[in-house]
Amino acid sequence: MAVPWLSRVRPGKIGLFFVSLFLFIQAIVLMKEGAHTLAPLVRGGFAAADLSSCLGFGWISAYVIMGGSPVAATALTFFDAGVVDELGTFAAITGSRLGASFVVLFIGFIYVLRGRNRATNLSMGLLSLTVTGTTYLAGFFVGIGLLRTGVLDRMQLRGAIAAHAFFDSVFSPLAERLTGFLPSWMLFPIGLGIIVVSFNLFDRCLPQMALKESQMGRMSRLVYRPWVMFILGGAITLISMSVSISLSILVPLGNRGFVRRENVIPYIMGANITTFVDTLLVAVLLENVRASAIVLAEIISIAVVSLVVLVIFYRRYQRVTLGFVGWVTSNNRNLTLFMIGILVAPVLLVVL
Amino acid sequence: MHVLIATSGPPYSDVRLGAEVARCADRPPMVLTVIGDEGERPQASAILAHACELLSPQVQGVQTRIRVGHPAEEIVREAEEGGYDLAIVADKRDRGWVTRFFLGSTAQRVVEYAPCPVIVAKGEISPIRRILLCDSGADSSVLVSHIAQLVDLIGGEIDVTVLHVMSQMSAGPGVVGKQLRASTEELVQQDSPEGELLLRDIHMLDDLNVHPRPKVRHGLVVEEVLAEARSQDYDLIVIGAHRGEGWHRILLDDLARQIIQKTGRPVFVAK
Repeated sequence: MAVPWLSRVRPGKIGLFFVSLFLFIQAIVLMKEGAHTLAPLVRGGFAAADLSSCLGFGWISAYVIMGGSPVAATALTFFDAGVVDELGTFAAITGSRLGASFVVLFIGFIYVLRGRNRATNLSMGLLSLTVTGTTYLAGFFVGIGLLRTGVLDRMQLRGAIAAHAFFDSVFSPLAERLTGFLPSWMLFPIGLGIIVVSFNLFDRCLPQMALKESQMGRMSRLVYRPWVMFILGGAITLISMSVSISLSILVPLGNRGFVRRENVIPYIMGANITTFVDTLLVAVLLENVRASAIVLAEIISIAVVSLVVLVIFYRRYQRVTLGFVGWVTSNNRNLTLFMIGILVAPVLLVVL
Repeated sequence: MHVLIATSGPPYSDVRLGAEVARCADRPPMVLTVIGDEGERPQASAILAHACELLSPQVQGVQTRIRVGHPAEEIVREAEEGGYDLAIVADKRDRGWVTRFFLGSTAQRVVEYAPCPVIVAKGEISPIRRILLCDSGADSSVLVSHIAQLVDLIGGEIDVTVLHVMSQMSAGPGVVGKQLRASTEELVQQDSPEGELLLRDIHMLDDLNVHPRPKVRHGLVVEEVLAEARSQDYDLIVIGAHRGEGWHRILLDDLARQIIQKTGRPVFVAK
């Protein structure tokens, strides 16, 4: 007797997932080795970096790479190599997520330049950026406070640490072989390249059609409770590991590519928390407890801020945020001002 | 139609609205008040006597009843046992904010648990001449049949507006979203789901000799319903009840509750 869900399983996608995971871990091992060699060379450049510079650096880097996860992974490997301190790393990771949330907006902006409607093509990107910006900037101060108390340093992911011997035996030989004919610092850019490729491959593993056929396909029609969408956004991003990917999943879910305004903000809030799962995995692979503490501080601080908004003043927040998005898309002058603002802001953070 | 009017006294907005609705009903209404203990019976009797006075110019043969217990529970019990077709209750801030936050007001709980449609009397009560019917598309036939009953009951010229709020936005770049900005006429012409919904409502109401005006607004559902209610000074808002079964109850947002909470007008909750 045929099992219905079994027919939907795509062996190719499962294979691709394991290939992506292999490349991801290999990339971290290479970046870790390379960063330790690079550390004495770049330490001087980061020595004087304050929190705002690190925030701006992570932000700009995410613009350049068009993604936050590789930048967050880089920040953690630099931290592991002693190039940048705990709070600076935290700031750089926060910046990387702010920059990453620009990706959806950027794609929409290209459509607008081709003559498509402003509001239709930019609303989701703007909403994502606005929700991320407000929650992360508030979470930034919560996270800094949390790290200064040192409470998270005592938390260790023991199960994962036990697997390090296995990872070393599988992934270290390539790094050793490469250092045979390449300078050690070259391992870092090679690892960075591989991690970007691995994230792109992860994106292709998602079973979008299966989601469309599921109950979630009704999401465009019904208005769900905010906490339902919060959990859903978190769960989908836990699988996709990228906010932009989990947002893009919403497009095919509705027949016309529409989604209820009411459902979007809590979805983005949930997604912004679990998007750190890959960064947490990087911290675990680095075998650095303080690196894990930094990522946990990100997760906890964003979760606290999001829950405070959802429980205490969600309706007002929703109204103001959607009002702001409406203002930006209402005319070209407002849109230009906004685009200049978000491009200049990280530069100012680095320069000033 | 058998109407239950649940009142707790001044300002008697529930009784005033009850007079509007029950004056043409084929059965006299029941006026109920709930007391916490037997010691409150004299005050309850005075409340009921005044309610009868207010109703008497328009309604004859009013029945009264006093129940002892928790207001929301007793109103729902009366609605269940009496087999009423409609319950009318006022939305009063009669309890502490902690109770309201966790359980909701008495009116909200009656709306949630009563077996029949409920009108929540709020704000200034005036003769019902303008009705705003908010249709999400979930239970159109239920809403329309209630409107027809109401119009039949109230009589005279009644202006009905059928409102559908499109709260959708584009889920991402590249989506063709002309319908996200379309007017009522455009949505109908394009055979969009929203246009079809409005046409279906119009045809159903036309068959019942009610000639409504269709309207579409774009924005958050609750905000737009409230804005429309304010802009045209409607006498009654008609909405569908929150879905009450299974996972839907847990997963879906209770928009009816939010509208009742925020509007300053009477709300008819169809179920």
